[in-house]
Parts: sequence; structure tokens; C-alpha cells
Amino acid sequence: MTMARYLRLILRIALGAVFAYAAWLKLKEPWQLFAMAIDGYKLLPHWAVILVARTLPTVELLLGLLLIAGPWLRYSSALLTLILAVFFGLMVRSYALGMHNDCGCFGGGDPISPHTLLRDGALLAGALTLTALAWLAPCARRSNTTSSSSPAPDRDSAPAQ
Amino acid sequence: MKRIALALACLAAWGAGAQPPATGKAVGSAKAPASTANPPVKLKAVGSDKAPITIEVFSDFECPACKGLHDGTLPLLVKDYVVKGKVYLIYRDYPLPMHKYSRLAASYACAAARIGRYAEVADALFLHQSVWSVDGQVEQTVDKVLTRAEAAKVHETFTDPSITAEIQHDIELGKAAGINQTPTMIVRHNGVPYPLPGGAVNYDLLRSFLDHLLVK
Repeated sequence: MTMARYLRLILRIALGAVFAYAAWLKLKEPWQLFAMAIDGYKLLPHWAVILVARTLPTVELLLGLLLIAGPWLRYSSALLTLILAVFFGLMVRSYALGMHNDCGCFGGGDPISPHTLLRDGALLAGALTLTALAWLAPCARRSNTTSSSSPAPDRDSAPAQ
Repeated sequence: MKRIALALACLAAWGAGAQPPATGKAVGSAKAPASTANPPVKLKAVGSDKAPITIEVFSDFECPACKGLHDGTLPLLVKDYVVKGKVYLIYRDYPLPMHKYSRLAASYACAAARIGRYAEVADALFLHQSVWSVDGQVEQTVDKVLTRAEAAKVHETFTDPSITAEIQHDIELGKAAGINQTPTMIVRHNGVPYPLPGGAVNYDLLRSFLDHLLVK
């Protein structure tokens, strides 16, 4: 196993676990609490706040479990990066505007601060790295398989080939 | 703005007397600090302490978002839930160090609470926030809603160590609950605390949340 594959394995398990944990924290509480955190960003109309609050935790949970399980890594990592990029952008905007609202990332009581920005920035960097590895690795492996009679199966990206 | 005062006046007669005064210990998310007094919560509360839901509002008189909550959300909450006996609303003073006069304002409000005039003084402080937060004339703002005799009593007691201890008690409760901004509401139902996101809260979402808890 190459270093890139180790890194990919660690990133997908770690990011998957973080997403599944964040989703669980939201799902175990009434959805209105997450809706209030979303509303604190002052961006979405009321109906959209409710829609996001009721669906996003489930999407996060499924995405987290998908990352941990491994299939469709190219697409799951790309979706993860997209979601984290949106989260991070909204947090930077709120912080820059001095809104002092809750992040809503891991349940309540988590106001946007340099600490939360650093944390979510690190998660976004990890997601970007994972996405890059997921999309680049199959090319590297294909070139390796030409000189190998029995290549090791790669569960991470099998369905994406 | 007068709704809270009106509701307080109506409910004072209903809630007072027979029931023993509730204490911070009963509703706080942590034990009351041993170093401070445990002041009677009823002086700064609205509604019945037998209500299924308790909401603690940690607020700073000099904070604009607290004014928004006080003027916009709380009157609706009082009308729809407190008056109907569904919610027991407790005010907690949480003056932030960055606000020059907020502790002074909290001292006056707590002193007014001792003569049963907390709601009126709180209303006046929020109404004239933009004035006294600049010139520091808290006393004049408070006097506007008190009779001469009441004002004299408040001026006599606002520097009392027990008032300082009462405010400190609220601050310690807030710190123990992990509060890091104002306003913050902590909703408690069946002993389970639900800290709401800090800042002004959308009333439709709050109502949906409270209705969800009430049918649980």
C-alpha cells in the first residue's frame, strides 16, 4: 500500500466519522434547534431553513457512513468537499460581518470564532486532499497494473472505474 | 412593550403566596455557586414555576441583540405561553465586561426587582438603551418608571452587596451553562436543558420547538 493510499484511508475514515458524529448530534435533538442555528446566518427564507434543518443531518449521516464504507469515493468525497466549502464560506461571511451566530456544526453552543474557522478550514483541506487522491489514484493504479499480474483490489474507488 | 409588565402584574397575584419561592438551584444547569447567595428567582420571573417548560434568558441591558429579543420575541412568548401557564420565564442578568454601564443597569434592575418593579425597569432600560449606554445616565432612565418613593428605595439598595451577589450568581450560572454570548435562552423540559443558539431567535421556530416539547 502506497503512502497515498494510507492517507486516503485515514482521511475517508476520519472525515466520515466526523460527519456521522455531527449528524448524530443534530438528529438526537429536535430539528428546530438546528433550524435556529441555520436561521442565525440570516441567508435563507423560512421555508428553506426548515427544509435544510430537516434534511441536511440525514445527508450528513449517509455521507459519513458512505465515506467510512468506501464505495463511490470519488463522488462522496466531491460532495463532502462541496458541503464543507459551502459551510466554510458561510462561516467566514458571518465572522467577517461580526454576526456572532452559532456555527450549528456540532449541535448548539458553538459560536463562530477563529477556533471554529480553523477547525472547519482543516476539515475542508482534508476533504480537498481526499477528493484529489480519489480522482488521481485510479490513474496511478492503472499504470501499475500493467506491470502486475494480480493487482490488489481497491475498494475505495472500484465503482468509479 | 407593556405586555411583559402587564403579564407580570397579572401573574404575580396568581403565582405568589402559596408556593414557596423557586430558587436558582431548581432551574440552573449547574449547582449554585457556594460563594454567592441564592436569591429568590420569582423576583425576576414571569409565570408559574409549575409550568412544564422553564426558559432562562441570559441578557445584558446594553446589548442590542438583547433589546431585539426583549422587544420582539419575549412579549409574544409571554402572551402565547407564559400567560397560559405553559412556560415559566426567568430573567438572568449577564452583563458583559465590554459594556461599560450594563452592570450598573443590572444593579438598578435587581434593586427594582426587590420592590416588584423589575419588568417595568427592564422595559425602560431597553427602550432607552441608546441614550444611557452613551451618557451613562442609568438612574434617570430608571426613575422615569418609578414613583418617588420607589425610586428612593431603589437608589438606597442598588449598591447593596446582596444585589452584587445576585448578579454574580446569575453570571456564574451562565458560565456553568457554557454561555458565551447574549442573549442566550436555555429551555428546560422534564429536566433536560436545551440551550438555544445565541442571539435573537426566530419566534416561529421557537414556537414550533416549544409546541414539540409540550406534546412530548
